[in-house]
Amino acid sequence: MQYGMIIDLNRCVGCHACTIACKAEWDVPVDKERNWVRRLGPANTPEGLASTYYPGLCNHCNEPSCVPVCPADVIEKTFTDSKTGQTKSMEVAATYKDPFNGTVQIDKDRCLGCGACADACPYGARYVNTDIKNEEIGGEGIADKCTYCVTRVEKGLEPACVQTCLANARIFGDLDDPNSEVAKYVKKGAKGLTSPAVNIGPNSRYYGNKKDMYLLTTTSTPTEMPSASLRRSLMARLKPEMRKVKNFGLLGLAGAVLVSGLTEDKKE
Amino acid sequence: MSFKVTRRKFLQTASIAAATLPLAKVVSAETGFVRDPFTPPGSLEGTQTVTGGVCEMCFWRCQLVGKVRDKKLVKLEGNPKSIDNGKSICARGNAGIKLLYDPDRLKFPLKNVGERGKPVWKQISWQEALDECGSKLKAVQDKYGSQGIAMFPHGASAKYPMDFFEKVVGTHNVSEASFFQCRGIRDMAYMATFGLAPDENVDMANAKAIFLIGCHFGENVHVSHVKKYLKGLENGAKLIVVDPRYSASAAKSDIWVKIKPATDTAFLLAVMNYLVQKDKYDKKFVEAHCVGFEEFKKGISHASLDWAAKICDVPAKQIQEVAEVLAASAPNVSVHPGRHVSWYGTDFQRIRAHACLTALLGAIGVKGGFVKGKGVKVKGITWPTVAEGGEEHNLRLMADKYHYAPPGTPTELIRDACITGKPYPIKGCVVWGQNPMQTIPNQQKMVDALKQMDFIMCVDVMPTDITMYADILLPEACYLERYDFIKTGTQWNFTDKQQQYIAPRMPLVDAMFERKDEIWITNEIAKRMGYGDKIPVNSLEEKINKELAGVNLSIEQLKKEDGIHIQDGKDPYGVPEDFEVQLYNEDLADKGYPAVPTYIAVEEAPKGFTRLVYGRSPVHTFNRTQNNVWLHNAMPVNPLWLNDEIAMKMGLKDGDEIELVNSEGVKSSSKTVIKVTPGIRKDTVYMAHGYGSKNPLLTVGFHAGADDQQLITKLAIDPETGCNGMRNNFVKIVKDGKSLDIPA
Amino acid sequence: MTDIFRFLAQSMRYPASEWFNEDFWSVLLSLLDELQWQEDKAELIRVKAGAKDFLEDVQIEHTRLFINAIPHVVAAPYASVHCKGDGTLYGMIAEQTKKFYREKGFALAKENDLPDHIVYELEFLAILANDDPDGQKKFLETLFTPWFKIFKSKVLEEAHHPYYRVVMNLIDFFTREEL
Repeated sequence: MQYGMIIDLNRCVGCHACTIACKAEWDVPVDKERNWVRRLGPANTPEGLASTYYPGLCNHCNEPSCVPVCPADVIEKTFTDSKTGQTKSMEVAATYKDPFNGTVQIDKDRCLGCGACADACPYGARYVNTDIKNEEIGGEGIADKCTYCVTRVEKGLEPACVQTCLANARIFGDLDDPNSEVAKYVKKGAKGLTSPAVNIGPNSRYYGNKKDMYLLTTTSTPTEMPSASLRRSLMARLKPEMRKVKNFGLLGLAGAVLVSGLTEDKKE
Repeated sequence: MSFKVTRRKFLQTASIAAATLPLAKVVSAETGFVRDPFTPPGSLEGTQTVTGGVCEMCFWRCQLVGKVRDKKLVKLEGNPKSIDNGKSICARGNAGIKLLYDPDRLKFPLKNVGERGKPVWKQISWQEALDECGSKLKAVQDKYGSQGIAMFPHGASAKYPMDFFEKVVGTHNVSEASFFQCRGIRDMAYMATFGLAPDENVDMANAKAIFLIGCHFGENVHVSHVKKYLKGLENGAKLIVVDPRYSASAAKSDIWVKIKPATDTAFLLAVMNYLVQKDKYDKKFVEAHCVGFEEFKKGISHASLDWAAKICDVPAKQIQEVAEVLAASAPNVSVHPGRHVSWYGTDFQRIRAHACLTALLGAIGVKGGFVKGKGVKVKGITWPTVAEGGEEHNLRLMADKYHYAPPGTPTELIRDACITGKPYPIKGCVVWGQNPMQTIPNQQKMVDALKQMDFIMCVDVMPTDITMYADILLPEACYLERYDFIKTGTQWNFTDKQQQYIAPRMPLVDAMFERKDEIWITNEIAKRMGYGDKIPVNSLEEKINKELAGVNLSIEQLKKEDGIHIQDGKDPYGVPEDFEVQLYNEDLADKGYPAVPTYIAVEEAPKGFTRLVYGRSPVHTFNRTQNNVWLHNAMPVNPLWLNDEIAMKMGLKDGDEIELVNSEGVKSSSKTVIKVTPGIRKDTVYMAHGYGSKNPLLTVGFHAGADDQQLITKLAIDPETGCNGMRNNFVKIVKDGKSLDIPA
Repeated sequence: MTDIFRFLAQSMRYPASEWFNEDFWSVLLSLLDELQWQEDKAELIRVKAGAKDFLEDVQIEHTRLFINAIPHVVAAPYASVHCKGDGTLYGMIAEQTKKFYREKGFALAKENDLPDHIVYELEFLAILANDDPDGQKKFLETLFTPWFKIFKSKVLEEAHHPYYRVVMNLIDFFTREEL
């Protein structure tokens, strides 16, 4: 199963109901966004004058660039398929791609708020909420983004943005199910925002007429993968080393060295 | 300040404790706390669904449910039982909780102990506030007569007090912005053509063609209305949009008529004349239902395609194409009546043309045409008419003008009387939910009218611009905190199963602070003016219950039905045999107005200036929502749309910060940015209405974007209705303090 | 301390003649005496002596600072306007505050105001001062001080009237230091 969302630009009227419903549903800080609507145009395109919208959100990518950069401690996590009850265990940091429903999620209580994932997303779909933090692990905030409202979906509800959309322009479902409406849209030509440099398998896709799609893709497709900040990438790069340290039980040794160093200091 | 004693030391010194300082004596016995059994936090996480909400972020009134967690309203959603908006609500509806919890909202009665316009507020008790309102209004009434009181109402909560002042106190001087600065012209023009007000009753969902003149759905959002429009498009309706700007609707259109502003009537006349000349109108309908076809035909015969093409600055071929599409789609055509139509001071004639075109196409009572849903009537309970004096002090009758004015008195007649004292002085003013500073053109004139008053009271939920002029300012419970308005209607798509619904507004949470509803406030003032014996109901709950009893329902029953009562409905299609369309209206002729829809040219922009037009933003309702943090953040400013070629000539770039100055020298008091686009004519600039509030009480909305209303100082009055036309103002762009000529 | 917190809470209520009277005034002055805040005391006495209607002056100042004012309300007396969130009422910190009251076995007596109003927080501190020093410490650290310091600086910066400057400093004094 791979959850995905289609935005039908032929229907979208740019009313922003989706973005405000999301704010209410998830208490998103006023200056941050889990989803957004940008008005595009009116501008000239080869297909004629066009004006449309870029309703953006997390793409829950097939190869999410935000996941491998997470420097949080790795734990063993057991996932359950909500449909079959089947389980599967995986080693994950604080953000991961769910092996069953294909969504990219964050473990809020283990997030350090370093922002490496937000930097790594070419779509700008993540932010760090600094109003809340995991103080006991030295967190600076907690990363957040669109979750496709999986907790609502699991209860049989639609994502908040889909529910409130007065145009029925947002369609949510399982892309792997060929009979789903979303899969049918993909067959009709719904496209993710990809470029030669940014091709990580976005699962939020857009459908529209030629001129609107031209305007959308030429203005809103990322053309290069972002480079993470030095500090954050350092933390991210240290992660495998930290793993080794843990695996070989070296953490205790490192601690001992530190303690003995201090003791020596005292002697002098 | 230096701290000479530490807290520890202070507490240690024997002299203190409670012994020497009789602290306990001076604090009130009552504290804000009672003991409460411990509730495990787990149960606090969950929310409860409260039904019965009816939105009033705009006036379409979608049905809501609230998600309430421990008395805090955390989210609003469409009521899934609704057959109107369904589970959907718009951005504004979703943002209602940020109005509810806006820290700038009025909380307590306030008295202005400073000047009008530069208030110094003092919190006072309701007792004092009401005594002041009652005695001051009574004093005005005693000295100048009931006509000495003017009222500016708006919204559901203003109806009851409006009825009090009209029917009991007895003043005609009531001006509703929704009529005189908005849709009153439309209602009256259709009354003079079809004999009924049209609202927005076009069956777009089932149309073969949708014809919009200035309507910009997407930027203008009323949920079930937009649903109809989108359903129509999905079903393959041809969309024709007449607009100087490539609006949200134009972007979805099959034909965009990039018309010169103020010439729409010429366009409509040419289309109608073409249909008549080419025998492409619905002869059967015209014969059966229309009056004065021959006079009408003669009256519009001058309107050739070329004549209109020249006036409207669009190709004659395009006018012909529009006429052909309409004829080919007839009778299943939605000629939209419009909503905010007070544009040029010639609007009654234009809207008459909408109605006449609808009739020529036979687009009445048929799928896709002009069709009124058959909802339930719930009779309202209000004040009895007891005022004496009849029409003696009716300014409109005294002036013998504006014979097609909507209910109430035209705003300009009221303001002129205020300022000149003739034919009589107006010295008391009640503003209830309206913001005349931003709804009525020429703000200085409004200020002059207010400054001369003996007494002004305002009732509102937010400190809007007008409230700065109040002597007494009263805080009202908002739509989420009170019983109110009973919304009725039908399923939004007329071809679905015929159903009717009744949905009274019920509170989702209790009113906080000292906010009160309109029944309580009005009744208390009525008692103090000596009308206690006329009070029809004692509470909103009682009023709604009595009204519901008229249709065999009650609040209790509605609560059981999740806030919405649904029953079988009636087929809305068909035309009554006696339905009559006045293509030529003899009564109009008798009063000296054009009896056949007539194009009247309006003033052109002086050299160096360009015409300012305005419209809606999907995240705002007028200027009522600018202080909402979520909505504000969604679209913080209202960019000025400027044609790309003109911008290039002027050396302006997208995003440049600018101000505007109008041809009468009024400069905008806040800035906005430029949006450079090919999607607007060269002779027009556009901005969304309602931005740039001047009341600094609004911490979010204050000076955010520029206020179009401030620049609308030239008054155009529609002669038939007395309503204000607001698009006859011309502006220059001011950048870095320099005012720039706009090339033609 | 219970009485002190209750006194401070009282001093932040809307000034009304029923309590903002000579008794209250003399207690306030003696408190300043005890603290040896002589300059403040002198200023209050001077301003009061020079006022035409002292009560109304304080009422206007209260309205301007805490309710509605021009150019804008200076400092709405609610935690969530200043701390954690988007500056609106009933934000996250208000819910947390309410939860804290509940966990200690308390709730607001009237539901027409919000749990994070400064008056209630001070009254709650008065309750905790009786027998729950740990609770008091935790309340101050996690819920009160984070917003009060922002609130206080806004009031101190904008206050025209010495009364609220003095009250802010008194609240700060009694809530700032460790016991």
